[in-house]
Amino acid sequence: MDEEYDVIVLGTGLKECILSGLLSVDGLKVLHMDRNDYYGGESSSLNLTQLWKRFRGSDTPEENLGASREYNVDMIPKFIMANGLLVQTLIHTDVTKYLNFKAVDGSFVYKKGKIYKVPATDVEALKSPLMGLFEKRRARKFFIYVQDYDEKDPKSHEGLDLSKVTAREIISKYGLEDDTIDFIGHALALHNDDDYLDQPAIDFVKRIKLYAESLARFQGGSPYIYPLYGLGELPQAFARLSAVYGGTYMLNKPECKVEFDGSGKAIGVTSAGETAKCKKVVCDPSYLSEKVKKVGKVTRAVCIMSHPIPDTNDAHSVQIILPQKQLGRKSDMYLFCCSYAHNVAPKGKYIAFVSAEAETDNPEEELKPGIELLGPTDEIFYHSYDTYVPTNIQEEDNCFISATYDATTHFESTVVDVLDMYTKITGKTLDLSVDLSAASAAAEN
Amino acid sequence: MSSRRRVLLKVIILGDSGVGKTSLMNQFVNRKFSNQYKATIGADFLTKEVQIDDRIFTLQIWDTAGQERFQSLGVAFYRGADCCVLVYDVNVMKSFDNLNNWREEFLIQASPSDPENFPFVVLGNKTDVDGGKSRVVSEKKAKAWCASKGNIPYFETSAKEGFNVDAAFECITKNAFKNEPEEEPYLPDTIDVAGGQQQRSTGCEC
Repeated sequence: MDEEYDVIVLGTGLKECILSGLLSVDGLKVLHMDRNDYYGGESSSLNLTQLWKRFRGSDTPEENLGASREYNVDMIPKFIMANGLLVQTLIHTDVTKYLNFKAVDGSFVYKKGKIYKVPATDVEALKSPLMGLFEKRRARKFFIYVQDYDEKDPKSHEGLDLSKVTAREIISKYGLEDDTIDFIGHALALHNDDDYLDQPAIDFVKRIKLYAESLARFQGGSPYIYPLYGLGELPQAFARLSAVYGGTYMLNKPECKVEFDGSGKAIGVTSAGETAKCKKVVCDPSYLSEKVKKVGKVTRAVCIMSHPIPDTNDAHSVQIILPQKQLGRKSDMYLFCCSYAHNVAPKGKYIAFVSAEAETDNPEEELKPGIELLGPTDEIFYHSYDTYVPTNIQEEDNCFISATYDATTHFESTVVDVLDMYTKITGKTLDLSVDLSAASAAAEN
Repeated sequence: MSSRRRVLLKVIILGDSGVGKTSLMNQFVNRKFSNQYKATIGADFLTKEVQIDDRIFTLQIWDTAGQERFQSLGVAFYRGADCCVLVYDVNVMKSFDNLNNWREEFLIQASPSDPENFPFVVLGNKTDVDGGKSRVVSEKKAKAWCASKGNIPYFETSAKEGFNVDAAFECITKNAFKNEPEEEPYLPDTIDVAGGQQQRSTGCEC
């Protein structure tokens, strides 16, 4: 340390690592530090020993669970939309070369006490009991409209201005039933409550388009992909990108303390008695807790099992969405399951997560509807965490703080936060349609 | 001549900052050497095809990208390595003393299934400096350490002059291949995220 940097990044969560990678590629001099001796921060993947240490306060997991290193248990379980912003970011930066992905086997939705596969093909759609025959026809007309909708082509709008018309109004135009609306809004548009119904329909329509495009992208059984060895690979991959472009990495740095000048501007970071100077600080909420405010709480169960989730056709990886109306809650509950097929557990083991925005102080009771869908578990851990957003004014203090990861089961909100922070830090907007490695290859010729 | 199945081998290069890891990699893959030292910037992994007898191997050689400077390599860097190359500078005793730490760090992070027999190769680099006058680690001392750690193969190299680099990497290739499992390990059917154009979906979702 005792050097000068353009940006010091604190915490190696996924958001911070993406930013570190992007800023280093831009030619900024970046120092990236973390108090832990591993990458990922709150979004790491833990081996069995780390899991036991964190949740059981001991170093000794059960012997019969298998080798510790074979576990990669995500602390923020999310799948990746195959055509979503994170995939675009991975391609943009060429970070895909450090990673391997596999399609997620299926997506299911909970309705009246049972789970149903969200259809991935026309054939599945026709057979699905989620809708009656006449409703399927009405829904098909709606989906054709959504598919053909092009923001820039007024002819495709069919007289509707989606920036004014609400989602409720467009649904009404197609005569869809309440059950259908619930299914489309929560299992396809992936809204986690019903507030979207009274918002302009443009976001609702775009989300359905994203779902369809992601489904078509790799033609797996779902619109999601997921990396081998778990989500903890992602921060490491972006950190490597940063390092390749000159970023400096220091793990295991306790007490990273941001230093401010007389006018309240960040000027550096001190750790273990040494201070590195910088113009800007980027961090997760835990490093500048006095500059954030709590906006919610996520509660989660993490389970180790020796079987797939029942009634999922023995899927190795699935998502199950429990819409909030089905449970009498304010927001949806999500089940996420992955297994040895994605190299996150030993052969024959599955890792399942039940997540929701907390509405009570009793996670065991609150998450019960999801946990009951799992069947027997070998081990179960509960954890809850508060979610924060920054309250500081970046122009005044040169601090750029990410928001905490939410309970959603995909990364769109994560990357939106990253892109927004990138623009605030650099003053530039990132064009994800450019493939950086292809661009630099062209520049070399 | 015809060749049998192509084999992809992951090789990682470990050692203190400044011992010449990147230069060795560049000398072997690109036949280039740069006198200008800066802690590694821009080095990532490189691939090179190596033919030994009638087999063709694709070596995927991973540099540390500078993350070793403050002991900040992640577990992903180590995963799946078929051979670990430990590099020290024959003119810097500390870099030799730290080989033990690097080897132990590798065994912890990579957790190979057979740690006693995992293939390491040690390179004593920069033998060209001052015509050998500033050398502080004797060949005898280095060989003794290698013998004590399970007869690790040892090469003295100069990335600058290209001395012994090819011989070292041929040995690395052979040992990496010996470590490759006989039967194909369980290989999930991964998808190619970077390739493939976006397809417009046809029909409705349900």
